[in-house]
Formats: sequence, C-alpha cells, structure tokens
Amino acid sequence: MDVRERRWLYVLIGVFLVFNVITLSPLVPWQRWLLWSKPAPTQRVNIGFENYQITLPTGGIEAKVGEPVEFAATSNDVTYGLGVFRADGTMAFQMQVIPGYQNTLGWEFDAPGLYDIRSTEYSGPEHPGMFIKQAIRVIP
Amino acid sequence: MTKIGWLEKWTLRYAVAGLVWLAINGFEGALMRTSLVDPVALRGLEAAMNLLRPVGFQPTSAQVFYSMMTAHPICGIYGFAYMSVMGAFYFLAPHLLKKDIRYRRLIPLNFWLQIVGVFTAWGAGFFLLFNSLYTLYWPLPVSFDRVPLVGSIVFAIGAAVIMVNILLFSFNIFSTVVSKSNPGTYGFGGLLRSTLGISRLQRWLGKKGDGNPEPRPDPAELPVFIVSVTRGSIDTVINAVVLLTAGGLILVYGLATLFKMPLDPRAVSPLLYKNWFWWGLDMVADGNVLIYSAGIWYLLIPLLVGRNLFGESVVRTVILIDLLVSLGVWSHHLLADQPQPVVMRILSGQLITWGEFFTMGLTIFASMMTIWLARPVKLTPPLRFVLGSIFGFLIGGAAGLVQANVGLNVVLHNTQWVISTHAHTMLLTGLSMLIFAVIYALIPMLTKLEIRSRWLVDVHLWGWLIGSLTMAYSMGWAGVLGMLRRMLYPVPNPYQPESAIALAGALVLAVGFLAFLINILMTLGWKNLVSLILPEREVASALEASS
Repeated sequence: MDVRERRWLYVLIGVFLVFNVITLSPLVPWQRWLLWSKPAPTQRVNIGFENYQITLPTGGIEAKVGEPVEFAATSNDVTYGLGVFRADGTMAFQMQVIPGYQNTLGWEFDAPGLYDIRSTEYSGPEHPGMFIKQAIRVIP
Repeated sequence: MTKIGWLEKWTLRYAVAGLVWLAINGFEGALMRTSLVDPVALRGLEAAMNLLRPVGFQPTSAQVFYSMMTAHPICGIYGFAYMSVMGAFYFLAPHLLKKDIRYRRLIPLNFWLQIVGVFTAWGAGFFLLFNSLYTLYWPLPVSFDRVPLVGSIVFAIGAAVIMVNILLFSFNIFSTVVSKSNPGTYGFGGLLRSTLGISRLQRWLGKKGDGNPEPRPDPAELPVFIVSVTRGSIDTVINAVVLLTAGGLILVYGLATLFKMPLDPRAVSPLLYKNWFWWGLDMVADGNVLIYSAGIWYLLIPLLVGRNLFGESVVRTVILIDLLVSLGVWSHHLLADQPQPVVMRILSGQLITWGEFFTMGLTIFASMMTIWLARPVKLTPPLRFVLGSIFGFLIGGAAGLVQANVGLNVVLHNTQWVISTHAHTMLLTGLSMLIFAVIYALIPMLTKLEIRSRWLVDVHLWGWLIGSLTMAYSMGWAGVLGMLRRMLYPVPNPYQPESAIALAGALVLAVGFLAFLINILMTLGWKNLVSLILPEREVASALEASS
C-alpha cells in the first residue's frame, strides 16, 4: 500500500471511530436509556394499530418530563409506524409496528407539552389519515 | 448516415430505451412533487389519466399518488439504470476482453425482456393502481382490501420477468468472461482467483515487504473493470434470486385469492420476510451500484486522463471487501424495528454499513489521486460528469451513514432525509451523472461522432447538478423538520415551502436533461436514431425516396 493511501486510511479510521463512539455514547440523549442505563419504566402505554386506526389507552396518555415510559405497539393486520411529534412538527421518536410482534420502545420526554401521534409507515392509500393531534400530554 | 456496427447499435438502443424510462421516471417525480405542493393542481390530469385505467372505479388522489410512487422506482432502477448498464457492459466487456459476447442472441432478448418486464411491473402501478410501494412489506402486497388483486398479480409477473432477464444477462456476462474464444482467456478457476482476490493474497504472502509502493497486478489477472463487473454481478444474481422469491410469494397468494382459495398471510413472518427482502434488495442499493460505479471510475478515469489507475492492487482488494460488506449491511433498513435483535442493529445496521465508508473512501481516493497525478488534465464532458458523480456519491453516502445509525435513526427513519438527501442524491447526482459520463464517453467510440455542443453539455451539467441538489437538500431539510416520506400531507401541508423549492429544483433538473437529449439528438442525427428502430434497408430506401 502506498504511503499516501495508508495515511488516508488512517483518516478514514479516525472519522469512523469518532463518529461511532459519539453516536453510540450517552452524548446522544436517548442512547443513555436505550443502550446504557435501560431504566425500569414507570408506566407502560399500549397502543393498537388495525384497519388504518390508532387506538390509544382509555383516558389518554400522560407522562412526566424525565419519567421513563415504555411504549408498546401492536398491529393486527399490516406494518405501521408509531411516530411521536412535537407541536412544531419535529419528530421526538418513532418505531416500526410489525404485525404479530410486541414492538416496544422506552422514552423519556425532555420538555412538557402536547405531542401528536402519526403513523410513520405506509400501510395503504388511507395511511395519511392516521394522525391523532395532541395525543400525549407531558407535564413538568 | 453513419455506419454503426451491430453491437454498437444494440448498446445505443439500450441507452435510448434507458433514457426513455428516465424521462417517464422524471415526469412521475415531477407530478408527485406537484401533488405535495398543491394536491388539487393535478385533478384535471388525474381525471384524464383515469380514463386509461381499467380498474372499474374512480380512484382517489391518494390511490393515484401511491400507485405512481410504486411505479416510479421500477422505471428508474430497472428501466433507466439497468438498461444503461446492460448496454454499456455488453459493449465494454468484449471490448476489454478482446473477444465476442458468448451468447449474442441474448443481447436483443435481454433488451426486449427488460422492456416487457419493466413495462408490466410499472404498468401494474400506473394503470392497475398497485400501490404497495417497492418495499413490498409483508403482508401489504397481499392485503387485497388495500391493494388491488389484479395489480398485485401483474406486478409480481412483471418483477419475475425482470429478475429472470437479469439472471440471463449475468449468465451471459459470466459466460463471456470465462469463454475460451481467444488465447488470452480466463478459465473459471482464474476468474474466481482474480475476482475473489486469491491471486493477490498469494502474491501478498509471497512478496510481502518488497518495498514497491504501487505494485502492478499480475498480467494474468482480469482488467480491474472486469473484476468489478464480475463481483458486482454476484450481487446482481443474489438480488434477482431474492426478489424472485418475494415476487413468487406474492404471485402465489394473489392467484390463490383469484381462484377463491385465499391463503393466510400470517403463515409468513413479516420480520423474517423483511430481513430476507432487504438482504436481497441491498445487493443493489449497497452492492452492485457501488461496485459497478467504482468499476466504471476505474475504467473511465485512466482513459480520460491518460494515466494508469493509482493504487490498482489496493482497489482490487477494495472491490472484494465491498462484496463482503454488501452481504452484511441490510439491517440498516431495520433500525426502527424493535423486534430485530439489538446486536444485529448495531453490528449489521451500523458498523458493517461503515464498511462502505472505507471501500468508497479508498475508491474515491484512488480515483482522485489518478486525476491529480495526471495534471494538467482536460476537463472533457465525461470527466466533468465523472467528477459530478464522485461528488454525488460522497455527499449522498455521508447522508446515508448519518441515518444508518441506531441513535440518529430514531429521529430520521422514514423521513424525507432518507429518500432525498441520501437516496436521491446517490441516484440522481451520483449514479445518473456517472451513466451520463459513460454515454458521453461511449458515443464517440460507438459512432465516431463527436458530441455536438459544449454549451449544451454545460447546461446539462449545471442544470442536473444544481437541480438535483436543490431538490434533495430542500426535502432533506424538511425531513429534519419532521416531514415523512411516503406521506401525502393533507392541506395545509406544513412543509409546503420546502416542497415548492424541491419542485423548482426538479424543473431545473428537467432543463438539464432536456439539454442533454437535444445534444444527443444533434450529435447522432435523426437518421441514425431512426436506424436504431427501423432496419437499415428501410431507412436507406426512405432516404432515397425523399431525395
């Protein structure tokens, strides 16, 4: 290998290490609980998907800022996506909802407010209608 | 009229057919972008198109939008990209190996089968409103309350024709490489040694530390371009086999329902299917696209700058590693699937995907060093497009690595970032510019005609580059703001400003493409173009009659 290639390879290795170490570390806030601390959830929120409908728990969803919540989504027909969005439209988090499986993801909200839920995976032509405004209330 | 050889003429036919598919693909893309900006703007056109659709009901705008989204990549990938690649390889492989294509009859057969297959699969979406998208997530393609039954069956048949045809093409390329039609031929063992890097490994073990900074490959080895084509074709075959099984499954379920014997979709695990499907599909997205593209850079750049490829022995190893990496990266499409084991998501989804960073990083380094060491170089049209394609793969690949990350994917999965900043940059700025470079380079070789207008080349280059980047990055920014892909937002669309900028970018792109088509038409002349469709005798007699 030419010395210039070897130097370039070292640069590539450096970028690889820096990027992956940072993004797998708790410097990405949610990696702290998703990969490292894995705290026991204080509540489990069950959300059902079927026939283009999203079914929330009776009484709605309420969580506290910083409280570990486990979102468990199931589908009885096709693949959907559980996406939680802030009031300004930016995404807080999402996961795929695979039929026949328990799809679970733990989350700690970092700011109070009202959050929307939208299906993030295409499930047929009526997929754009799968939206619930202000589905989650997060309190300080 | 220029005398064009038989093989050269077929290469041109493949290129022209590919460009027709690209035009259809671009038209569909512009329609979908318009729908995102103003969903009612196309109602009149939709109504007119619905007259062509034999579906027996009035489709909704969403059904039309999603069926077009399903048809769109079929004509882009299997129409434009594959047909261009097939035509180019059918010319370049025998040219470099100095022997004939092993089965010449397959050249026209591949041409027509590809057109029939792509038209059938594309038509299943466009005419029959098959709307399961190219991802075909189980059991959506067989959920006939959402997806039309006939459309699903026709799509599966079209996909099967395409995949069988690709297998035939790959078989012909492999057969050509190993055929014993000239004294300097390569046996099957030699092919394996060369393409799997065994001979380089043997040499490395025997000559380690010889101090030669840039060792030359063994003269018995295949040209590096042929090594890329052969290794890329391994991915191509795996992809075709996997997609054939997925299409076969959909076909079985569709036919069973058609004959009133419906099967239970729950018999197939959606997660297992998704793993199988993405493993096969990534043989294209993260396999042959990268390896073929690298091979074309390795071939074109030395030809264009008049210098041997820098670090050729290293890039031979890189191509092998690229093949191994492509076999292991598919989980980056399943990072949001929580039932997928976390070790798979981190290892296959994130870390092995970074293997592409090394292989493409070294490939681009070798390409750029070759150009740098050959200074001063003349920036010919193909070289300018090669540089554009390197830029496209660089930024599109970087965007891909950002999303193929277990942490960042939580907020990027299925957003516009994925499809725009990554996929469209790779396909439009990267791959398409490389195909244009090949066309600009091949036309003088095939026809002895020089590209007519440098000004139109400039319009093409800058229109395509600025248009594709404007489109990709405005939508990518919308993705960061939360805009999903595969989503026809109801009015008012909160991402309308970004969508409008993307539409403007698409129009600039179209101007660039139009300049290219005019230039090609001016270069070839309409008589040569007509001679690609009609037999030469008829063109000659028509010319005689007109004079």
